[in-house]
Amino acid sequence: MISIETLKNYGANVEEGLTRCMNNESFYLMLVNKVLSDNKIDQLEQAINNKNLDEAFEIAHALKGMYANLSLDPITKPVVEMTELLRNRSDVDYSALINEAQAQFAKLKEL
Amino acid sequence: MQELLERKKGLHRKILIVDDEFIEREMLGNMLNSLYEIEYAEDGEKALDTIKQEKTKLSLVILDLHMPNLDGYSLLEILHSDPELRRIPVIVLTAEKEAEVKSLQLGAADFITKPYEVPEVVQARVLHSIELAENSVIIHETERDELTGLFHKEFFFEYGRILDDRNENMPMDAMVIDINRFHLVNELYGRDFGDQVLKTLGKSIHEFVNATGGLACRSDSNCFYVYIPHQENLNEVLSAQIEKIDSTFTEPKIHIRVGAYSDDGSFVNIEQRFDCARLACGRLSKAYETSYGFYSAELHDIELHSEHLINDMDRALAEKQFKVYYQPKYNIEGDTPRLCSAEALIRWFHPTYGMVSPGEFISLFEDKGLIHKLDRYVWNEAAAQIKAWKDKYGVSVPVSVNVSRVDVFDPLLGDTMQEIVTNNGLEAKDLLLEITESAYTDNSQQIVDTVMALRNRGFKIEMDDFGSGYSSLNMLTSLPIDALKLDMKFIRNICNNKKDCGLVEIMIKIADLLEVPIIAEGVETREQMELLKGIGCEIIQGYYFSKPVPPEEFEKYIQA
Repeated sequence: MISIETLKNYGANVEEGLTRCMNNESFYLMLVNKVLSDNKIDQLEQAINNKNLDEAFEIAHALKGMYANLSLDPITKPVVEMTELLRNRSDVDYSALINEAQAQFAKLKEL
Repeated sequence: MQELLERKKGLHRKILIVDDEFIEREMLGNMLNSLYEIEYAEDGEKALDTIKQEKTKLSLVILDLHMPNLDGYSLLEILHSDPELRRIPVIVLTAEKEAEVKSLQLGAADFITKPYEVPEVVQARVLHSIELAENSVIIHETERDELTGLFHKEFFFEYGRILDDRNENMPMDAMVIDINRFHLVNELYGRDFGDQVLKTLGKSIHEFVNATGGLACRSDSNCFYVYIPHQENLNEVLSAQIEKIDSTFTEPKIHIRVGAYSDDGSFVNIEQRFDCARLACGRLSKAYETSYGFYSAELHDIELHSEHLINDMDRALAEKQFKVYYQPKYNIEGDTPRLCSAEALIRWFHPTYGMVSPGEFISLFEDKGLIHKLDRYVWNEAAAQIKAWKDKYGVSVPVSVNVSRVDVFDPLLGDTMQEIVTNNGLEAKDLLLEITESAYTDNSQQIVDTVMALRNRGFKIEMDDFGSGYSSLNMLTSLPIDALKLDMKFIRNICNNKKDCGLVEIMIKIADLLEVPIIAEGVETREQMELLKGIGCEIIQGYYFSKPVPPEEFEKYIQA
């Protein structure tokens, strides 16, 4: 089960995330669980595979905001990189980044 | 404003957070919900609905830019273009620098960056934006007159001073705009109509100032001030503007008067410039016509002179700079004219100006409400003089003195008069009281009561300037008077104008009917005297017998 401890071990900047949540641990955990319960990251992968870069940017941008606010640093990092590339609609190979993000997401879900 | 004050008082402020992402909405809400009531919207459309419904209750909107169904930019644009919604401050949520510029241009109050800063920073930004917006509403509403939307006087002068300070030496024109007889407009057509007139005039002034630049205010109920950069052709600008305003008010016709100071470099601050404009306005007639006038140095000199006379009056009374002169009145009924009384006329020997004509100061003192002091001075002087002559020559020469309009309203007038005659050992009939005809028509009941009371004490009342006012003929028979004094104007042409002569005959008949003597003033020639005698005039006063003279000189008429 996900907890402050497990998130710390995962590499999240829990202190920073908690500060944004007025140091309310259960509220913080509720939000993290909320992030893990949606399938946006799959939608992102889908959009990239379909070369729908506009949609991909919107999703990446949204994910970046959520992850960053919760200070889930390991997953935030590849998503930020993707967002910046997608902002310019760069038609590059996103597979490494999306794989990394998916791996981090899976790691989080296992906590 | 009311809602705002309620919100401020109870510190019950409501914030709408608009973001399509649950995490970001909730996280922000969690930072703020102990301080504010929070509402949420997931997209721009829902947000707009809520904002419209709660427009008077919302203190702030926090808005994400990237959203489905109406994004943040579009919502900002809608809010900014709606005058009712524009007052609600909006903080934009953004992660990008370039979004900040665009949002600012669209009217955003501030930004909250993502990822969020620590709650204290977010809370401080929120409070700051709310207070800034509230204060600006308060300032806007307190600095402006609710009815016309123009500034209040205090703010107008304050902003005018700031404007002058920031634009040193910039020439500025000042105008005072007043509505003639506005109280009558309110009285005749109702206060709502009066307000409508003020609104319309306020709107014209607003448009005028928008075109020229500058400021305008409603100074008091029906008076407006306009302060604009100097116009080379102010005369034309003003006459065009006045014509425009004039054509707005047709039924009923509203008349305004505009006093203007066109900057000629003589005055540098807003107060002085408006003193000049007020002065120019004050000189205009309050009659049934629209008019405008400019301040000039001569006008200023006249005003200054008047101001000196007013300031000097008390001292002049104390130092007896005022001298009472006497003009004899002769009864011409018999073969030889016989001195019957005199009229007291005041002269002012001013230490600086020399002899000041009564024409210069009487109406001035009347306007300033000072005439009663001068009247009392004359009454006392005249009474003392009557007594002196009585003692010296053993004869009683009754003297007529002026009783001004304001004296009539003094409830103690009778007591004062009584005291004066008693103190001088005289009888009431020694002092003749002249009251001008027009005073009778101003307030007939008051004057009838006053005159009755005076007559009951034994005073004799003469109606002065008879024929120049508007006495109604039926009123004349009920008036308690002891003599009619013909207005001088009738006498001037009596010998060469048949109509004037005829009028005097009619007035003499009226006097006969009322069984009172008629006194003709301003008689200068033998011809006039003979003619008046011929048509039955009994008493004559004028240069034909004597000009007004000092008491010493008057004595020769007593001795004769």
